[in-house]
Amino acid sequence: MHTHRQRILLFLPLAALLVPFLFWPAVFGLLSSFTTYAPAQAHGRFVGFYNYATALQNPDLRLAFRNVAVLLTTAVPAELFIGAVVAYALREPFRGRGLLRVCLLMPWLLSPIATGVMWHFLYGHAGMLDWNLAWLRLPPQPSPLGIPGRALLAVGVTEIWRKAPLAGFLLLPGVLTVPTAHWEQAVLDGASLAMQFRHVLLPWVRPLLLTVALLLIGDTLGTFDSVLMMTGGGPGSETLTPALYSFQQAFKTYNWPFAVTSAWLIVGATLLVGLGYVFVVRTEEEL
Amino acid sequence: MTAIHSPGGWRKYRRRLAAARAALLILLVLVLIVPVAWTVLASIDIKPEIATWPPGWTSSPSTDNYREVMTSVPGFPRVLMTSISLSVVTTGLTIWAAFFAAYALARWRFRGRRIAVQSFLVLASMPAMAYVIPLSDITRRLALRDTFGGVALAAAATYVPLAIYILYGYLIRVPAALEEMARLEGASLPRTLWSIILPAAAPGLGATAVLVFVLNWNLFLVPTALTLNHVKTIPVALSDFYTYERELEWSNAAAALVVSLLPVTAIVVLAHRVLERLSLGPTHENP
Repeated sequence: MHTHRQRILLFLPLAALLVPFLFWPAVFGLLSSFTTYAPAQAHGRFVGFYNYATALQNPDLRLAFRNVAVLLTTAVPAELFIGAVVAYALREPFRGRGLLRVCLLMPWLLSPIATGVMWHFLYGHAGMLDWNLAWLRLPPQPSPLGIPGRALLAVGVTEIWRKAPLAGFLLLPGVLTVPTAHWEQAVLDGASLAMQFRHVLLPWVRPLLLTVALLLIGDTLGTFDSVLMMTGGGPGSETLTPALYSFQQAFKTYNWPFAVTSAWLIVGATLLVGLGYVFVVRTEEEL
Repeated sequence: MTAIHSPGGWRKYRRRLAAARAALLILLVLVLIVPVAWTVLASIDIKPEIATWPPGWTSSPSTDNYREVMTSVPGFPRVLMTSISLSVVTTGLTIWAAFFAAYALARWRFRGRRIAVQSFLVLASMPAMAYVIPLSDITRRLALRDTFGGVALAAAATYVPLAIYILYGYLIRVPAALEEMARLEGASLPRTLWSIILPAAAPGLGATAVLVFVLNWNLFLVPTALTLNHVKTIPVALSDFYTYERELEWSNAAAALVVSLLPVTAIVVLAHRVLERLSLGPTHENP
């Protein structure tokens, strides 16, 4: 219903933002990942897949991808599950529900940087853990963030704390669209909670659940600022993530080709997940 | 069949369910609030005491930390002002560009629209790390490095895909009939947008704006990669004085965290009504 010219005008502001500040750097990064280009030097040499081959052999980066894979397979499902349970628990109105909904946003309102600083201290000396241990007359423990084998767990718990309530907040409007009669019927039929989840809730919130899942996966693939503050990737490289690795390569050790290449590995992972998403929702009805 | 069908069983079932829900929600509130409350207490110098049993709290509240953060941390008031103005400008830019594009998409029926809308969501899930390294080089070449405008434009590009995806969901539900009438009456496109579409989509625009504002307020990667020290936002300052001034006390950091949390909390509490109805993407009909 708009003319061709009007459409161009309407998309113009968007293009002015996306083309120079997102698409161009992304393409530029992709191109330069096949060269030795770095901002400091004048010329880059084409090296084909050399950077990718080197990056994939790098033990730190491999560990970083392993870590993010662990987070993707444990923290993200936990966030979705807790979010769905919270949304389910909030589906019937009660006094204070509005307040509780706002509280769900609380961990997300803290920036990842602030969350990292906060949990660094909460896990640390005379923090929340030590205080609770003191009740049991147990001596203070060193921060789990510094203990090999526990650091990633501690990071995962923090991630869940930050994102599961947000997932609940975002899923709640979807849960509220389920007609009350469906719930009552399920209960009368003797459906267990798990069956209610599977047969009543899931069909209604599936598209929303997929959307939230995609956003959480993307966010997890880019996990970086909270880890930077909590552990800096340590102990060793136990909590290193690809984004943190890429950041360090770019802005600490100035290894540009490596930084851009590992960043493109993240893009590749995101696009793969994105394609999966588009494929899965293809079966849903027309938007 | 089950206990539900015995006399009085339904009521008993409901009561048990309500009790379980209350327990779950109380636990949830504790998990959400305790870490933040712990930080607020630390910021006014009330700290855990774990040497004695039962463990208690030091009780000498003071506001020294806030005074110290505001005065002795170099330029903290300026950082606060930068963060506020940058977030406001960026949010404005994002919503402005996203509104036009989402509207054009919602009123333009073409094959592949579904994919187009979904690809904005995929783009929104892409971590900024994917393109921020080349972006820092590009902004340097454009003389936008370390400038307010450069950070605002780049940050706007980061969240505009998410804003489009959400706004599309709202705008597709605004009936086209009103616009059609306005057009027949001879109203121009800007006029139609201003007096018909804008009011109809106001709740969606408000909710999206709050969401984008919070995301911008907490954004770390883009400002840190694109600036040296002229444009410093709160997350960047937090990470700075945590990385370079290790002697910084937890209580000072806590005060800075609380200060950084206040503006977004105020906005979210004020806007909680529109946020509660926030729907990610198009609402779904009967499955």
